Amino acid sequence: MAGGAHRGGGRWGAPHSPAPPGPRGCPVPLKAAAQSLCRKPTWGQYCTLLLFQRKLEIYSVEHHAATDIKKKEGRDGKKDNDLELKRNQQKEELKKELDLDVSLQFAFVLFVFQGLSSTRAAELLAQNGPNALTPPKQTPEIIKFLKQMVGGFSILLWVGAVLCWIAFGIQYVSNPSASLDSVYLGTVLAVVVILTGIFAYYQEAKSTNIMASFCKMIPQQAVVIRDSEKKVIPAEQLVVGDIVEIKGGDQIPADIRLLSAQGCKVDNSSLTGESEPQSRSSEFTHENPLETKNITFYSTTCQRVFRCTATGMVINTGDRTIIGRIASLASGVGNEKTPIAIEIEHFVHIVAGVAVSVGILFFIIAVCMKYHVLDAIIFLIAIIVANVPEGLLATVTVALSLTAKRMAKKNCLVKNLEAVETLGSTSIICSDKTGTLTQNRMTVAHLWFDNQIFVADTSEDNLNQGFDQSSGTWTSLSKIIALCNRAEFKPGQESVPIMKRVVVGDASETALLKFSEVILGDVMEIRKRNHKVVEIPFNSTNKFQLSIHQTEDPNDKRFLLVMKGAPERILEKCSTIMINGKEQPLDKSMAQAFHTAYMELGGLGERVLGFCHFYLPADEFPETYSFDSESMNFPTSNLCFVGLLSMIDPPRSTVPDAVTKCRSAGIKVIMVTGDHPITAKAIAKSVGIISANSETVEDIAKRCNIAVEQVNKRDAKAAVVTGMELKDMSPEQLDELLANYPEIVFARTSPQQKLIIVEGCQRQDAVVAVTGDGVNDSPALKKADIGVAMGITGSDAAKNAADMILLDDNFSSIVTGVEEGRLIFDNLKKTIAYTLTKNIAELCPFLIYIILGLPLPIGTITLLFIDLGTDIIPSIALAYEKAESDIMNRKPRHKKKDRLVNQQLAVYSYLHIGLMQALGAFLVYFTVYAQQGFRPTSLFHLRIAWDSDHLNDLEDNYGQEWTSYQRQYLEWTGYTAFFVGIMVQQIADLIIRKTRKNSIFKQGLFRNKVIWVGIASQIIVALLLSYGLGSITALNFTMLKAQYWFVAVPHAILIWVYDEMRKLFIRLYPGSWWDKNMYY
Amino acid sequence: RESFQPEPGEWKRFIYNPTSGEFLGRTAKSWGLILLFYLVFYGFLAALFTFTMWVMLQTLNDEVPKYRDQIPSPGLMVFPKPLSALEYTFSASDPSSYRGYIEDLRKFLKPYTLEEQKNLTVCPDGILSEQKGPVYVACQFPIFLLQACSGMSDPDFGYSQGSPCVLVKMNRIIGLKPEGTPRIECIPKDENVASISTYPNNGIIDLKYFPYYGKKLHVGYLQPLVAAQVIFSANSTKKEVTVECKIDGSPNLKNQDDRDKFLGRVAFKIIARA
Repeated sequence: MAGGAHRGGGRWGAPHSPAPPGPRGCPVPLKAAAQSLCRKPTWGQYCTLLLFQRKLEIYSVEHHAATDIKKKEGRDGKKDNDLELKRNQQKEELKKELDLDVSLQFAFVLFVFQGLSSTRAAELLAQNGPNALTPPKQTPEIIKFLKQMVGGFSILLWVGAVLCWIAFGIQYVSNPSASLDSVYLGTVLAVVVILTGIFAYYQEAKSTNIMASFCKMIPQQAVVIRDSEKKVIPAEQLVVGDIVEIKGGDQIPADIRLLSAQGCKVDNSSLTGESEPQSRSSEFTHENPLETKNITFYSTTCQRVFRCTATGMVINTGDRTIIGRIASLASGVGNEKTPIAIEIEHFVHIVAGVAVSVGILFFIIAVCMKYHVLDAIIFLIAIIVANVPEGLLATVTVALSLTAKRMAKKNCLVKNLEAVETLGSTSIICSDKTGTLTQNRMTVAHLWFDNQIFVADTSEDNLNQGFDQSSGTWTSLSKIIALCNRAEFKPGQESVPIMKRVVVGDASETALLKFSEVILGDVMEIRKRNHKVVEIPFNSTNKFQLSIHQTEDPNDKRFLLVMKGAPERILEKCSTIMINGKEQPLDKSMAQAFHTAYMELGGLGERVLGFCHFYLPADEFPETYSFDSESMNFPTSNLCFVGLLSMIDPPRSTVPDAVTKCRSAGIKVIMVTGDHPITAKAIAKSVGIISANSETVEDIAKRCNIAVEQVNKRDAKAAVVTGMELKDMSPEQLDELLANYPEIVFARTSPQQKLIIVEGCQRQDAVVAVTGDGVNDSPALKKADIGVAMGITGSDAAKNAADMILLDDNFSSIVTGVEEGRLIFDNLKKTIAYTLTKNIAELCPFLIYIILGLPLPIGTITLLFIDLGTDIIPSIALAYEKAESDIMNRKPRHKKKDRLVNQQLAVYSYLHIGLMQALGAFLVYFTVYAQQGFRPTSLFHLRIAWDSDHLNDLEDNYGQEWTSYQRQYLEWTGYTAFFVGIMVQQIADLIIRKTRKNSIFKQGLFRNKVIWVGIASQIIVALLLSYGLGSITALNFTMLKAQYWFVAVPHAILIWVYDEMRKLFIRLYPGSWWDKNMYY
Repeated sequence: RESFQPEPGEWKRFIYNPTSGEFLGRTAKSWGLILLFYLVFYGFLAALFTFTMWVMLQTLNDEVPKYRDQIPSPGLMVFPKPLSALEYTFSASDPSSYRGYIEDLRKFLKPYTLEEQKNLTVCPDGILSEQKGPVYVACQFPIFLLQACSGMSDPDFGYSQGSPCVLVKMNRIIGLKPEGTPRIECIPKDENVASISTYPNNGIIDLKYFPYYGKKLHVGYLQPLVAAQVIFSANSTKKEVTVECKIDGSPNLKNQDDRDKFLGRVAFKIIARA
């Protein structure tokens, strides 16, 4: 490659055409030549180097997704035609995007040494933008804010406010001295909407901020050659054509074509889902850019392998990288409404429907009763205000954010507040295996020596290795494990627990190193004592690793040859086997025993290694013998087989429990992994995703010794489906599979297939949670009802697409999330029931005022003081309520049947408790009037006289005469009394809402302290309004006599008793008529 | 979202489902049960409410309201009551324009006629007539105290002459004991347009009419009245005047309150058309 730029004529990295002329060491004329050669507008920046271009189409499962969409549309029928058109366009675009225009450039070696000039780099950077994935488009803040302003009930209240102003306008035109009351009311309504909107926006923003701070990661650095100098720059500033150096453990900073590489392996899991490291070199090996060895991709990682270095040229940056393109697919997947958003919408519709229809009904009645139209409009507004729980949506937001905070403490970080509940309604979890269910590190699980299988401890700390270590074979085996290993601890970690230390080396070697460190102690010291004279590292052709050591025994001058590798390869090289520390000839029966053990361990899905050793005879190989790894001037056959050792990425210890919990909570856990089916199945079995007694079709076939086809599929509870099988399945077949098997493992799936699986689950009406970490998971994460990204191993793209982030990557955190989600759903029910109840007590006064002509029992503004004053903290307090014992033992809610606000809740709140409350409040009201001289009977149809400003000598039942203002003041006292009546009964309402089924006394009256804070706040606010602000007339509160505060107490007690009775009957007669009608 | 919008057929099935016999989502039996339940439940609630109301009414006294703190000081009001606002519009030459007023006045003054007052006590002037009960007597208010506005000499109460009478009365409040010598003072806004004569002289309200013991105990109680006659100046072309009356001379009867424009005062307007 030296001395010229080359044109690849159809093969990657197979240069064969000469470079354009240009003096050595002087790239400038070359640049000019290249630019003149290929001036391509969009890819102009490539021209410096672009000498070879190639179009590639990457096959991707997104095509499946696209056809899937089409099929679904077909079912939806005509009305979605427009949508279909749009989607088709989208699909085309999608496809176009997949025609990856991967351009490869080959440059002078000279150029490799010099790199780009910093000016050129700056130009390119300005042209192409930074090397970073564009985050998904954020909704502008102002839109978010406006959404809060018009969302929910706001629109209704705006209409009310505007009607108020219009009413005043009309009044003003006919009578300039019209009272300003309706202007006040309109303004108050507007202020209420704006304030609650600001509040909700602030809450939302606050939780988003937590997210933002989390996402801001330490900027990635890249070593780049520019201006003939090595520089460390932020990876964001990389441009096409930069020469970068990569070493083990680095994340690949862009799409890079390797120019030179040594012993490098990359982990492409974020791209393909395969966690098996793939080696990379500068050789071109495949037409497909994903397969060829000389290209590494953005966001994949270079394995932390000993002495891995590579140099490469950046060929694509930022969104133009393959990962960038795939990530952008995620934005093509629609964002579904969260279940709780649907529930809240449903609830808003119910309440707004009731408010508007009652309002209009009474508007018509009022007009028919010869009320002035303007008055009728004011009634309409009052009825709407009374019906709308103004503070509720803000309360819901607070409740959700409280749960979000609680979940964050339990390592579930929620990006979107509404996702808090989604987890609770989840009915299927599609979980990753690696890292989520497992510890994400290879660990020694089994050993086989002395013709016996030993079990090693695979728990997280790994310290309790209790197998029998007395055998001489173990002594030899442990020596091989310690010596035949290139992995090393990074220095300076003596104080770190062994399992947490950072190791340089691949996964298996790391596992072996840690294993031997735990058992033998300081491995480095052992290696020092047994000086290594030569070694042959593992490679894929040999399939073994070998090293020769001097022994630590000063009297033993023999060299020790140790070897490990693929068991069958190792066995081939052996003629003897060590049993109980003694060498024995390797006869047929021993070989058979070996095979049985090997199959058994392999069947557990574990990676098995064989170990053997050989003491080189001292006479043939004296101390001075010069070993050569190239010519292999030492024996590699007739060795002594010592043992087998198998490794697995073991499940996290908390996972089996969590899976059991999920199962009892009616959640189906589906494992989706890129791993081998056997391993996947083994892990699934060990964590309980496939329960101990269930079998797959294959298992049954094997047990009964019949062909797979003969097995009755209904007998199998579990299924292990590979990506290949999935590829051939029609959506109907997938539906059938998902519906019929309670335990499913998908293995060898590509991350794109996750999308298909998720869609399949969603067709079952399930609420699907998906975990993922790779960039390629992002479409599935987005598609899922709740996407859960891994906080530690997750890529930015996955985190962007997800609704929730597991900070500890631990599956059991999802389960706690589910619990919190269910709890908040229950508690929101309670909150809403609590809030809706008083609506009737607020509504009745207006209805009675209109129909029966009583002096108005409670004013509109006073109502707002209940909705936004006394009731706020109590309704939030219900969010702190503990679960009613059975939360994780019931099925997940059906998203279309188990509504947040169901008929029972509305009926019970409105027609039972609400009505009782109204009666109680009326009692206080009547008491106040009666004790001041207006007996209840005299109040009926008193309205016109009462409200007349000019009537200043209205006679009461005792012959006293009242001026208009005196009556007004009495009316305000009535408001205060009615207000206090509602408040007192709301205390009882709050207490009864603590549970829906259990007795309050079982739940514990004092367990939730916040409830008492709520009750105290109710009383304090009411006291302040009555006694503190009693002189502010605009608020219509007066100082209420102390005894009136207690008038409604009997009603409050009645509410409590009635509700206890309701709960008692529900518990006594489950499934009865009472249960069906009274349980909400 | 299609799942949330029921098909038209679904609605029909919701209203009446022939297979399950459900009407509006419930079978006949279910409807029966639910109606029975609500009948019982609401019956119980109604009984309960009635009972609590009854208990509450037991706390009341038939003679005197339990609390009188909301009306510490009486308001002033005029009689007759004009149809809208406190504006008397009439034309001296058109009897139909004021017939309503004089009819109201006659009716109102009926109890004040001498025959009606025969059974009432003649009380000593200038002192409160406090009584211990159980029988409470009412003091006479001889109608002639209203002089020209008594309706005895002028059955048209001055309306036909263009000098209308308006009665000013203080609101009854049980147990109110005015201090000092309360009187009602009426002042026209523009003294050039009209002058006011008040009867009894100086608009005196005698203390003997206080305290009031309530409708039930104080049978036959007559509220003291003050008549104000508006006499337009002969030279004034404008026959329109606003009159303000207020209680004066009693320290415990307020006549100034920012919010209550009728507390111890009243303003009315007389418009006499040609």
